Amino acid sequence: MQQVENSNKSDEEHSDDVEQYLTFMLGGKVYGLEILNIKEIIEYGEVTDVPMMPGFISGVINLRGSVVPVIDLSQRFSGKPTEHTKRTSIIIIEVTNDDLIIEVGVTVDIVNEVLDIHSGEIEPAPSLGSQIQTNFIRGMAKVDGKLLILLDIENVLTVDELSQVGSVQIAEK
Amino acid sequence: MSDDSLQIFAEEAEDLLGVAEQALLNLDNLDNEAETLEGVNDLFRTFHTIKGAAGLFGLDTIVDFTHIVESVLGNVREGTLSVDEDLVSLFLLSRDHLEKLVSNALGGADSITGELKQTDSQLIGKLNHYLGISPPDENELAPATEGTAQATKENIDGVVNENWHISLRFGPDALRNGMDPASFISYLNKIGELKSVSLIDDAIPSWSEFDPESCYLGFEIQLIAPNTNKDELEEVFEFVKDDCKISILPPHSHINDYIKMIEELPEEDMRIGDILVACGALTNLEKDNMLNTQDDFRDGITAGGQDFKVPQLGKIAVEEKVVQQEIVDAAIKKQSNIKQQRVSTQQTIRVNALKLESLVNLVGELVIGSANSELNARRLADADLNEAMENLLRLVEEVRDTALGLRMVQIGETFNRYKRVVREVSRDTGKDIELHISGAETELDKTLIERIGDPLMHLVRNAIDHGIEPPKIRAEKGKPAKGLVRLDAFHDSGSIVIQISDDGGGLSKEKILNKALEKGLVQEGLQLSDQEIYRLIFEAGFSTADKVSNLSGRGVGMDVVRKNIESLRGQVEIESEEGKGSTISIRLPLTLAIIDGFQVRVGDAQYILPLDMVDECIELNESLRGGDGNSNYINLRGEILPFMHLSDVFKAESKTETSAKDEADEKHRDNIVVVQFAGKKAGFVVDELLGEHQTVIKPLGKIFQNLKGISGATILGSGEVAMIVDIPEMVKRVINSGQKQFVSSNSIH
Repeated sequence: MQQVENSNKSDEEHSDDVEQYLTFMLGGKVYGLEILNIKEIIEYGEVTDVPMMPGFISGVINLRGSVVPVIDLSQRFSGKPTEHTKRTSIIIIEVTNDDLIIEVGVTVDIVNEVLDIHSGEIEPAPSLGSQIQTNFIRGMAKVDGKLLILLDIENVLTVDELSQVGSVQIAEK
Repeated sequence: MSDDSLQIFAEEAEDLLGVAEQALLNLDNLDNEAETLEGVNDLFRTFHTIKGAAGLFGLDTIVDFTHIVESVLGNVREGTLSVDEDLVSLFLLSRDHLEKLVSNALGGADSITGELKQTDSQLIGKLNHYLGISPPDENELAPATEGTAQATKENIDGVVNENWHISLRFGPDALRNGMDPASFISYLNKIGELKSVSLIDDAIPSWSEFDPESCYLGFEIQLIAPNTNKDELEEVFEFVKDDCKISILPPHSHINDYIKMIEELPEEDMRIGDILVACGALTNLEKDNMLNTQDDFRDGITAGGQDFKVPQLGKIAVEEKVVQQEIVDAAIKKQSNIKQQRVSTQQTIRVNALKLESLVNLVGELVIGSANSELNARRLADADLNEAMENLLRLVEEVRDTALGLRMVQIGETFNRYKRVVREVSRDTGKDIELHISGAETELDKTLIERIGDPLMHLVRNAIDHGIEPPKIRAEKGKPAKGLVRLDAFHDSGSIVIQISDDGGGLSKEKILNKALEKGLVQEGLQLSDQEIYRLIFEAGFSTADKVSNLSGRGVGMDVVRKNIESLRGQVEIESEEGKGSTISIRLPLTLAIIDGFQVRVGDAQYILPLDMVDECIELNESLRGGDGNSNYINLRGEILPFMHLSDVFKAESKTETSAKDEADEKHRDNIVVVQFAGKKAGFVVDELLGEHQTVIKPLGKIFQNLKGISGATILGSGEVAMIVDIPEMVKRVINSGQKQFVSSNSIH
């Protein structure tokens, strides 16, 4: 089957690596996150609000003794807060900042599954027509006829940018 | 030698060099001859210990260099050289050089190269100039070992004997272990030429108690072996060193080493004179003199007992003009000092900083865990369980305090480092400056001390360079010619305060303002308070120095100072009076790990206020509130207390809006928590007081780095996260908003 899909591509791309992506739903759309960055998935709950921070920072949670910030992805993308349901989950992701690995949680509506995606199947992000910032998107992949948005998590969770937003808000007050 | 022991050597050397620096700086201020001598002795000992230890590791560069320093110091001690400022400076440079040599050795380099080599030969040249000699004879540098316990090799103090002296007392099990004393002696004959071997058979008991399998023999050996070294001789006795008493004295050993060796010998009834004679360790003249006085000598021992052997022997030697009185004094003093040193080393243990850190982290988890247990125990309402829990909690609290106490060190050592800075900077600037230190015993967290070092350095330099005026101007102003810089440390409500003050020119508000306008840091016509003006000097690129010196004036120092201090959750304040001087106060939290917290509820969220800063809690009722309900002041026993609703600050963007808050207001009476920071009081209105809570500070991470008003987070017994309120920041806010209100309404009541 893979051969059929890849039949019109060059030989080089045949040998391309398979990458695994975790797919999840957010605001009715399917997104994918490279699995290497993901530490764990936990149920949503016990998020403590951090005052004076912008809305897309939901707060912090106690992850076995360490305090981990949680980002509301929906707010970050479209400005609409996530509606919390039974299936709302927090994906704990490791991002690198200044050679330090920082754990950050993101809230998503529903966690789906882990998919194998060939890097050859990934197409660059469209420059227009996307509802979220283009630099958040690593690429698009078509799986079973559905379009999957693969996120560039380093850009979505740029620590410098997140903390900068915080300080701007404070300064305005 | 393994890297580990080399590491230990480096640490010891670092300590000793620290001691040496202090001793050197003290030398500068001593007028009293006896004290100077004591200081020089200290220094001598310190350098000697380093030399000895370096010898153990075969670090020849260090040994050679230290030896020369030691020789110069030896001359000072003898009185043939007097201490002056230049000599102290040279010693200080030598000390610095040694520091580099040690770190070079630690880096695994056997030899020195480049710049280090150049400094090495330069300093050796200068030191030799003081000695008035060409480079020292290699033989004199021969094996130095075993730290303070062993010999110094100056010719002046050494005996004329050119041979090795070896004193052997075999243990009773030597024969049973298959060790034949005779074979050791014949092996020695291969290394060198045996000059004399005296058998010591005093230990043989009466025949009825005699055990033919035990060894009772001892030997005093003179060995002619000019080409060997101590290590080689020690290796001979490698297999028996554990159960035998062995002393090996190199040629020309110090007379003290003989005294020491004799003191250590087991034969209680043995006449010391006899041993000295028998071993032939001393020259004919020395031997004859000893023999002549042998009777007095024996009386001395019987009268004075074992403990007085050393002074007695010394006395005889002095009477016979073999040794000078000072040397004997030095020897006795040296021995008593060695004892003292041993006592003090037993009182401290070196611990790897990482181990300590993981201990403190574990204690943090323990505190959280016990809070959780307490919560559950309370819910069960079992009296026995609760009582046991109370006991446990008390212990946990003690463990916490002790664990944190391990990290606390006195700030004095850091302060002392600045003596050197002051000395050098005042020399460079041609100003005469005295550094006055107080509160050196104030303790604070080791991490804080390490990170406060550089900012303090900047401030001290600034005080001297910008603060203190040149002597001429001081004289014109009628101030004493000697400038005064003070370093002071003390505790104040949960913080430690470090003050750097000078009696110099003070800060010129006008000058600062003009400079700030010029740099575009402030806008024209703006009314600024004194504090705000002073704070301008902490802005990047700000310097009022008219010209840039190599010390300061580039305007980089002060903003680095502010950043460093703020990164430690600290604050800087400046007070200044033009013409009289200025004081810079640094206020730091006592610890970075665990604090006592006061838990409150605001809306649905729980917050922690550092308990040390909480003064009192009062109920906010209408009578306190005064006339109109909107004022942000209350009358607290005649004082004006500005206050603020924490919910207003923290819940500004909250989802649950005012309706919930109004409901809560009807049910609860509001409480005001009165906090105090840096002498300023402010009140915070909260919905509920929840009591004390041991708070393990968890950093919030980089995302929240720009968040003001919250200093960190902690985990409650329930597992929830609670925010820790940044009191200094909030107090500032309350007072600022209060001032605005004050200006606008222009009335308090």
